Amino acid sequence: MKTGKLMSVFAAMIIAASTLTGCGSSNSEITVISREDGSGTRGAFTELMGITVDDVDNTVASAEISNSTSVVIQSVAGNSSAIGYISLGSLNDEVKAVSVDGTEATVDNINSGEYKVARPFNIATREDISDLAADFVSFIMSADGQAIVEEKGYIKASDAGAYTSSDMSGTIVVAGSTSVAPVMEVLADEYKKLNSGVTIEIQQTGSSAGMTSTIEGACDIGMASREVKDTEIQQGLVPTVIAMDGIAVIVNNDSEIDNLTSEQIKQIYTGEITDWSEIQ
Amino acid sequence: MKLPTGVKFSNIKMGDIMRKYKEKIMHIVFLISACISIIAVVTICVFLFANGVPAISEIGIFDFIFGKSWKPLENQFGIFPMIVGSIYVTAGAILIGVPLGILCAVFMARFCPKGLYKILKPAFELMAGIPSIVYGFFGLMVIVPVMQSLFGGSGKGMLTASVLLGIMILPTIIGVAESAIRAVPESYYEGSLALGATSERSVFFAVLPAAKNGIMAGVILGIGRAIGETMAVVMVCGNQSILPEKLTSGIRTLTANIVLEMGYAADLHRDSLIATAVVLFTFILIINTLFTVIKNRSRN
Repeated sequence: MKTGKLMSVFAAMIIAASTLTGCGSSNSEITVISREDGSGTRGAFTELMGITVDDVDNTVASAEISNSTSVVIQSVAGNSSAIGYISLGSLNDEVKAVSVDGTEATVDNINSGEYKVARPFNIATREDISDLAADFVSFIMSADGQAIVEEKGYIKASDAGAYTSSDMSGTIVVAGSTSVAPVMEVLADEYKKLNSGVTIEIQQTGSSAGMTSTIEGACDIGMASREVKDTEIQQGLVPTVIAMDGIAVIVNNDSEIDNLTSEQIKQIYTGEITDWSEIQ
Repeated sequence: MKLPTGVKFSNIKMGDIMRKYKEKIMHIVFLISACISIIAVVTICVFLFANGVPAISEIGIFDFIFGKSWKPLENQFGIFPMIVGSIYVTAGAILIGVPLGILCAVFMARFCPKGLYKILKPAFELMAGIPSIVYGFFGLMVIVPVMQSLFGGSGKGMLTASVLLGIMILPTIIGVAESAIRAVPESYYEGSLALGATSERSVFFAVLPAAKNGIMAGVILGIGRAIGETMAVVMVCGNQSILPEKLTSGIRTLTANIVLEMGYAADLHRDSLIATAVVLFTFILIINTLFTVIKNRSRN
């Protein structure tokens, strides 16, 4: 008797839930997804798209904020009316990258300068850098290091010659941006193969935390997915661009949008366009 | 320690002295353990206030707490939307979690068949042990799509976060409320039955009011958990730093504000996030004080 009652309650709940979910409305109101203030990706994107004017970031206040690339991908993949932006190196087939002004987001198009949405990956060191860390930096900037950068889907930033191992040993601590870390890990592995006595420790702490620990001497090399700030340079940091990274504008796989002009992207992100039907 | 001359060095006396020293040493050990927790609280306070208060005074306390615009890169540090966000989400979680939790506790303590209890009890204990990031992922993959099809839009917002937090505070409320109900003397229930009330009536009108203090404690613990929850909320609330207009609007909580921007923040931006933590800390202080006041009042 009692179990019968319980079962009927469950059944009623399931029916109620399924009818409720069934009557969902199709919507074409744009869900704008952005990154948090201070994110390197956001800084570069808003700057390049003309959303930031005179140091004022005009991203619409109703934009949804995610603090990691993977959550942006997840949110766009689960919402047919969403738009977001991520590092080109992190793009996968869960979402679709749109062409900007008719140019596809590919490494070749960034190299040729046709795809304009790209930003630098920086590393920063102190002036009293250890010989070992300096050698690692020279490996990153060498032809061998830059080949890895390109292989990972980024754009090389230096045309230096090949690297010759100087067979040093010791420990290097690298800390900072979570966007730069994946390529840094591959670079570190390759470097360790060439210099067997070296240990490299990579900490993913975020750009600013990486810069702070480099200034304080807690790590040898800091990583930043944004420009190194003047206040940080005044405190003794020396920035080096190790790669360029494209930023892909992404929409849901079911979206009919394949191409947006940079003007349209700007209008979407500043809240002038709020509905997909306004885009021809 | 010098023994008086003429006293024999018996084993019993030696044992007494050892015991006395042991007692003293253990006293000190316990004192140190107690001090460590106090030191931890004091250190946290000092760190928070030393870093946060200068930032608040630089921004201006009024602009900081009642400012409606949070644009740290343009030197606008108003956390009013986040304060409102935290309060709304917590209130929503209470609306959803408290009735469910109390009714569930009544069922567990009074009406649950033994066989079912053996399954339900460990299930609730497991619920309390699930890491919050897993709840967040559950919210993102399950609740968000449901909200999307129900209300349109992105599916992330106040309501989604409230539902998720309501679920998350359930085990806390159920656990405390259940033991409070069980602690009510059986004579209350039996007395009520003897006066002619039905079993259900006795439970809800005699036993439940008697367990009110314990249940309040559970609710306050739940509020504490809800307002301090971070990782799960950040994934489902949309994180817009604006005042919400409707139930499905995206909002940002105080905790979310800190965790979102800490990694990239520098200079005054970083200090303003610590100042946000100061405000959060004050909130928790207020809640705890309220709790103590309510508890004392009901005891008198």
